[in-house]
Amino acid sequence: MASTEIDRFLWVETHRVALDPEGYLVDLGDWTPAVARAMAAEEGLELTDEHWEIITVLRDFYARYEASPAMRPLVKAVGQSLGSEKGRSLHLLRLFPESPARVAARLAGLPKPANCL
Amino acid sequence: MILHILNRSPSSSLVYREALAGMGPEDRLLLVEDGVQGALPSQVRHFEGIGGRLFALREDLVAHGLEGHCDASVQVVDVDGFVALTEEADKTVSWF
Amino acid sequence: MQTATVPAGDVLVILRHPPHGSSWLREGLDAALVAAAFGQAVSLLFQGDGVLALLQGQGPGPLGQKGTSATLDMLAMYDIESLFLDASSLTRLGISIDSLQLPASPLEPPSIAALIGGHRLVLTF
Repeated sequence: MASTEIDRFLWVETHRVALDPEGYLVDLGDWTPAVARAMAAEEGLELTDEHWEIITVLRDFYARYEASPAMRPLVKAVGQSLGSEKGRSLHLLRLFPESPARVAARLAGLPKPANCL
Repeated sequence: MILHILNRSPSSSLVYREALAGMGPEDRLLLVEDGVQGALPSQVRHFEGIGGRLFALREDLVAHGLEGHCDASVQVVDVDGFVALTEEADKTVSWF
Repeated sequence: MQTATVPAGDVLVILRHPPHGSSWLREGLDAALVAAAFGQAVSLLFQGDGVLALLQGQGPGPLGQKGTSATLDMLAMYDIESLFLDASSLTRLGISIDSLQLPASPLEPPSIAALIGGHRLVLTF
């Protein structure tokens, strides 16, 4: 669910980006790759090519279905785009620890997945 | 047996048709809230396909002043009867 | 009327409301998505005005309210592919099955009852 409540600002290069209480973008239009890198840095993640290809899958998913996927459809979408080797929960858990559907949606500048624990 | 529960009057909502379409040969239909209007002799024809398996909740009939106007083919149950019907059913499906 | 073969499953969501006008359709689809996200085998039955939810060409509301077409397309990503509709509802509205966005199988009453009987939990929206 997109939230309109501003909790804090994240400084990205020379401008600030509003985040909601759970760290998702308040304005989805604020997203740039630099924003993703800044969000990732906050959690001690460095984005590699493997992260970026998942972020691209997520952004394509959102553009097509107007919603962020829960874990199962995310695994399916990744499998369809990147092949069955990558379309696995373990691969996603390694890249986006703890809750891949949520963490990856946040870094991809999407709303929090609604159908997730 | 599935207990179907309908809370809309057949004279103001067509949902009764969907409830009937969803009923198997053993299933029962309980009329509650505004649904009890379906127990009137003028309305009960809508349910003629399920003779003997049509119930109405007494408390709602009383609240609507319809208890004395109920068609003889309708089996009237109180809340305890409602509970008993639910216990006999594999599951319940609500139509509203 | 023949009884078609219908699948059994965990959850059957019956959708009886058209897009817009109320939030019933969206809430029903959300319930189906949540159940599927947790690994339940979900089937959908479109009944009454709910069959209009399947119509091709539907879009956002005049005030920009979100439509349901993208969500319908997304069902397959949640492995919700067991889609049915009440044939008489479609007939009553005078709509042909060719006008629908998704391939839902039309069912006659005995099969609708079998579908309801074959699912552990039935939710109507």
